[in-house]
Amino acid sequence: MENPLIALLFGLLVVAILTWVFWPKKGLLARFGKARMSSQRVLLEDTLKYLFDCEYKGITCSLNSAAGNLNISADQMAKLMAHLRDMGLVIFEGSNIYLTDTGKSYALRIVRVHRIWERFLADETGVGQMDWHGEADIQEHQVSMEEADKLAARMGNPAFDPHGDPIPSKEGQIPPFSGVTLNNLKEGEVAQIVHIEDEPHYIFEQLSAQGLYPGMQVYLLDVQEGKVTFAADGNECVLTPLFASAITVQPLPKAKPIQEGYQRLSELKLDETATIVGISSYCRGLQRRRLMDFGIVPGNTIAAEIQSASGDPVGYRILGTTIAIRKEQANLIFVNNIKKEHHEQSA
Amino acid sequence: MKEVAKNKEVEDILGMANDLKWDLGMGIHDKIVSSLYADAAQIARKTVSIDGERPAFSFERKVDKVVTSRLFGFPIMFVLLALVFWITISGANYPSGLLASLLLDTLHPLLKSAADGIMPWWLSGVLVDGAYLAMAWVIAVMLPPMAIFFPLFTLLEDLGYLPRVAFNMDSLFRKAGAHGKQALTMSMGFGCNAAGVIAARVIDSPRERLIAIITNNFSLCNGRWPTQILIATIFIGGMVSPFWAGIVSTGAVVGVAVLGIVFSLIVSWGLSRTVLKGEASTFSLELPPYRPPRIFQTLYTSLIDRTLFVLWRAIVFAIPAGIVIWLVSNITIEGISLAEHFIDWSNPFAMIFGLNGVILLAYIIAIPANEIVIPTILMLTVLVTGMTGVGEGSGVMFELDSITGTEQILRAGGWTLLTGINLMLFSLLHNPCSTTIYTIYKETKSVKWTMVATVLPIVLGFMVCFFTAQLWYLFT
Repeated sequence: MENPLIALLFGLLVVAILTWVFWPKKGLLARFGKARMSSQRVLLEDTLKYLFDCEYKGITCSLNSAAGNLNISADQMAKLMAHLRDMGLVIFEGSNIYLTDTGKSYALRIVRVHRIWERFLADETGVGQMDWHGEADIQEHQVSMEEADKLAARMGNPAFDPHGDPIPSKEGQIPPFSGVTLNNLKEGEVAQIVHIEDEPHYIFEQLSAQGLYPGMQVYLLDVQEGKVTFAADGNECVLTPLFASAITVQPLPKAKPIQEGYQRLSELKLDETATIVGISSYCRGLQRRRLMDFGIVPGNTIAAEIQSASGDPVGYRILGTTIAIRKEQANLIFVNNIKKEHHEQSA
Repeated sequence: MKEVAKNKEVEDILGMANDLKWDLGMGIHDKIVSSLYADAAQIARKTVSIDGERPAFSFERKVDKVVTSRLFGFPIMFVLLALVFWITISGANYPSGLLASLLLDTLHPLLKSAADGIMPWWLSGVLVDGAYLAMAWVIAVMLPPMAIFFPLFTLLEDLGYLPRVAFNMDSLFRKAGAHGKQALTMSMGFGCNAAGVIAARVIDSPRERLIAIITNNFSLCNGRWPTQILIATIFIGGMVSPFWAGIVSTGAVVGVAVLGIVFSLIVSWGLSRTVLKGEASTFSLELPPYRPPRIFQTLYTSLIDRTLFVLWRAIVFAIPAGIVIWLVSNITIEGISLAEHFIDWSNPFAMIFGLNGVILLAYIIAIPANEIVIPTILMLTVLVTGMTGVGEGSGVMFELDSITGTEQILRAGGWTLLTGINLMLFSLLHNPCSTTIYTIYKETKSVKWTMVATVLPIVLGFMVCFFTAQLWYLFT
């Protein structure tokens, strides 16, 4: 350590190694964690989950589609299936594959843990919504049934995961599937997106890029040959029927298309008032509860009052108090009926 | 049999509840809250009457327009905060001196001679030179600035101005993944980190609150300002002509404080993107109306809740530390004290970081309060160099009135400009004092986050000192 140059290089090396080990997602520790995941049991459980999903939605599933879903070769999948059959979890009928009762209850347990975990991430942590599914895919193989039950009990035994899929009960009950794909919806119908198929990837990417996510309300405007036009949370979107078929929706016969013609709170200029229409389902958990506690619920009046010296956040007056809200959150609050004049509301 | 039937019944009810939940759909919570508000609004309409618009409201809006304007918002904030610090530092000088002369110069010799009369020398050493002196030091240095700073801060808070500061600063902190209110806990940290950590309660989002707690230590606290000023005056001011000395050394101290803010933002950014990524996060900031401050209540609560509370914790930790300081300097093995053993052993290691063994030992045994770091360093330096004529014996902390005297001791201890710079850096970037560590544990209830808050700054400190020192060795 006498030579400062060598010492400096040594120091930089130590920093580099530490960074390499601890860097999130790409670091050594993260990679090590991921590598542990692709074990045999995980593959078996993922296969069961896929088979259950097919049966639940009434799709027949083949060896190839299962292999594609798990991103492994058909040969590997054939071995896995044979193993599952030997364990008495699946039966083959021709080229179709079905779950046995034991297989189904095993799959339901995994689905339950997965969805409870997603709900937990959405409501009680700051994990971004793009990461819910991936995180839950890891945890479903590690969290025991008892731990999941405790977690569910703590959250008040939720009935749905954040994507709108029902969480199977402890006894393995689950309501029958009742969604339709978006291209089968009729004009003027209102529905909620319950699921976006993540295979094939290019469709999923395109739909995500359009800002479509489960939980959004869709209002079908127009169906023509080769074109489906709809409002998703008020935004007009156009998709081809192929793309629309990747979106599963749950019709909401009684709901009004409430977010039609809305604007975002962030568009409100100083000294303008508006009526709150709702909070996007993108905003969940603690943050949503907090906003609602302040009185950000449909029907209340809100006014943009002061702007911070740096432009963001903006102070909004609601129910007689001034609350500062950041732009990213104001983007998730829908308002309509914007008026110019400012007056103190009296409610 | 009956038990089984009962279980069956329970299962049926639970099953039915689940079915109903599925039928109700996802938005049930929203609907309940909406209808609660609708009911509340209806009741309010029937019973509450409002006569016209409150005149204060429009006045308030005018004030708000000024303090949050692009032009005046930040200047007003800097001027007000600078004013608070200036009042604190200049106002604390006199009472601090008074307390020091009473507790240290007058009472200490009295107690010492009284104790020497009735107990063996080692017991009076442990109790009077160790425990009492550390406690007295902490009170004398800590009490006056805190008793001034906290009420001033609380007044600004009570007035309604501080939420506007958070409002203005939020965009900067948002980019670092933190909450605008961290600007407040950070400012509070300039007074005392333990108080800053407690103040983080105002942040209601769990993740941002943790960030504010962990990074609070990067605010140069009251106990570290004197160290910075002293060392900057001796080593950095001493480099230039006397005319520039004042400006240059002030610049160096401000530079270190700003470096602390930069570190706090960088670390916030890093934490929010790595280890704290998964913690729940929300943002909202209430902007309460301006109120005339309730002066007496403010004085009372800030003195009791903040000043005395923090001071009490500091005293509790200072007493054992004083005992340890005395013991390590007076227990000898083969004629050499424990302190000297440690210093000799750690010197080569410390040199890699441009520090020395005395500094390391001082930071270890003076963990309860940053205020006693300099007195401990002086005492230890005299101990290892074997100087005579200064100090009051081994294990007795002291400070000199003259800066030149202090400089002579430090230079005799082998200090260079590098040691001075690195001490300033290390004083900024080291573990929080034990009072703060304990407070962090109390606030987070988590050993893990307490460890992170303790270890992270010290690792950063060693890294920064290491690179500074090695670059220094390379170019000189």
